Amino acid sequence: MSEPIAVEHAAGAAVIRLQGDLTIPSAGVLYEQLRALAARGDLREVVVDFAGAGRVDSSGAAVVSLAGRELEQRGVRLEIASLDDSHRAVFAQVARAPAAPPLAPEVVSPGLLERIGERVLGALAGARAFLGLVFETFRQAAAVATRRARLPAGAVVRQVAGMGADAVPIIALLSFMLGTTIAFQSILQLQRFGAGVFVADAIGLSMVRELSPLITAMILTGRTGAAIAAELGTMRVRSEIDALSAMGISPVRFLVVPRLIAITIAGPALALVSMAVAIAGGMVIAGAVLDMAPGSFWDRVTLRVTMGDFLHGVSKSFVFAWIVGFSGAHLGMRAEGDASSVGAAATRTVVAGISLIILVDAVWATISSLGDQP
Amino acid sequence: MTALLECRGLTVGYETPILRGVDLRVEAGEIVALLGGSGSGKSTLLRACTGLLPPISGEVQLFGQSLYDLEPDDRRRLLHRTGTAFQQDALFSAMTVEENVALPLRELTELTEPVIRELVEMRLGTVGLAGYGPRAPSTLSGGQRKRVALARASILDPEILFIDEPSAGLDPIVAASIDEALLAFREVLGITLVVVTHELESIRAIADRAVMLGRGAVIAEGTIDELSRSKQDTVFHFFHRVPEGSLGAPPAAPPGTPPKDMKNRTRIGMRS
Repeated sequence: MSEPIAVEHAAGAAVIRLQGDLTIPSAGVLYEQLRALAARGDLREVVVDFAGAGRVDSSGAAVVSLAGRELEQRGVRLEIASLDDSHRAVFAQVARAPAAPPLAPEVVSPGLLERIGERVLGALAGARAFLGLVFETFRQAAAVATRRARLPAGAVVRQVAGMGADAVPIIALLSFMLGTTIAFQSILQLQRFGAGVFVADAIGLSMVRELSPLITAMILTGRTGAAIAAELGTMRVRSEIDALSAMGISPVRFLVVPRLIAITIAGPALALVSMAVAIAGGMVIAGAVLDMAPGSFWDRVTLRVTMGDFLHGVSKSFVFAWIVGFSGAHLGMRAEGDASSVGAAATRTVVAGISLIILVDAVWATISSLGDQP
Repeated sequence: MTALLECRGLTVGYETPILRGVDLRVEAGEIVALLGGSGSGKSTLLRACTGLLPPISGEVQLFGQSLYDLEPDDRRRLLHRTGTAFQQDALFSAMTVEENVALPLRELTELTEPVIRELVEMRLGTVGLAGYGPRAPSTLSGGQRKRVALARASILDPEILFIDEPSAGLDPIVAASIDEALLAFREVLGITLVVVTHELESIRAIADRAVMLGRGAVIAEGTIDELSRSKQDTVFHFFHRVPEGSLGAPPAAPPGTPPKDMKNRTRIGMRS
């Protein structure tokens, strides 16, 4: 039906004579014609004459059926004339389609209060599930420690290698660069007061207490946290976690405990690497700019950084590692449905992990500085 | 006979119930097929029976114990006596075939490695996959993966084995070999089987009894012969491969009218 559809008018009626095929390219044209006729308001009947029509496909039948209902709503009768057998067969397909499904109960879009309530309830359920996972992880870890249960052979070693050893190059590179940058900046400021040697104090203290645990935790979140979430999320989506549950094997013991043990080892270990390499970076810059001997640099570091500062940094890295591990495990285990939920779990782990780490760090810094006040 | 599995008044679902008030009893040594069209709740019922989906109401009794009333550790111990093969095989993609099949042995028994390896190779042979141990699941075809899943689910010689769609989408030869393996599990190892399926061939080949689900409830149960002679609309349509609502079949019940009680349910020669 490449030609315009011929429309003839009589008193209160219109006749559309189809010419050529009524298929996808032309069905839309017919639909617009029928709608235009329906909109006129002065018609009581529309006749679609199929005498000149060639092939009619499903879209043609659907258009006639749809326009028929729309015309009927406006009090216009749609008459179909001169169907041949092949047209009838196509129309029979429309007639055979099941009646429109029973209307679903009208969905009332929730109001502001309901939406807030839903969010709060969702957050509470999430928090409850998170605490449940933490509790179950410690319970299962205790069972392993007391030899009432065991871990899959080699799982912890494999995880430590992946989370820790494989991350050493990137941690070392970034920490070295951070150490050199801070050293440069500190020397520039301190030299104005003739106090350049204090660069060792600045590097030692800032890296050990704050920056090494923090940068390690950031990399751990992006690298390991996201990996844990994606791995567990994929296992959830592929029913692998269900398979463990159905076997009567605790997924928490089998999957979460080894990862948490590994991250508890890898997190602080990487923080120590970061501290050492950053101090070395500062040492190199102090040597180059101030002509400061490495021995003197190291002496100043050990003089300024106390065991208390060191334990402060290490304990922080433990806590950050657990934040990363538990966030990844929790969000991965809750992934549901399809592949997009795995991506969402990984993204949320990174966002939630980094936010929580910075929040905890800020609170920690505030509390510890209050304690340091004279 | 003793019931290994008994569901009483089971209502299960996710946000809304999918099955309402389902009763199911499986005796020791039976092969029971759970039938029904797509979306009839077969897999949901299986998830409820295997401890994966707590019911909204009602009870699942496994080996005479109420599954969901048990503490998680006790429930796990009870599930050690069962095996489950999932519809999407659920093989651990990070493990080899051998590691997958051996997992329950390594995790739940004190058997030594040589014994475990021997057992795994034996079971892989039973499902026609001898020598496939070192391969990764991703290198296998759909039918082979299903058979590995079956080997893993049955490796502990469970008392009851739940299998979801063992032969869906497989060619008739592989499907027949899976049926043969299932029959062997019952004949040789005395394993009771609950098989979710809608493959008529397979049902006729292996099942002693079938339970048919539809519109969120059990609509019929009986032997395969009894069900295939049934004039009950959905059962007739299912066994005679007739689309519902077509001419020449018993009239369909008005949609959206789930059977309310046993009066509406075709009970054909149920064993007790």
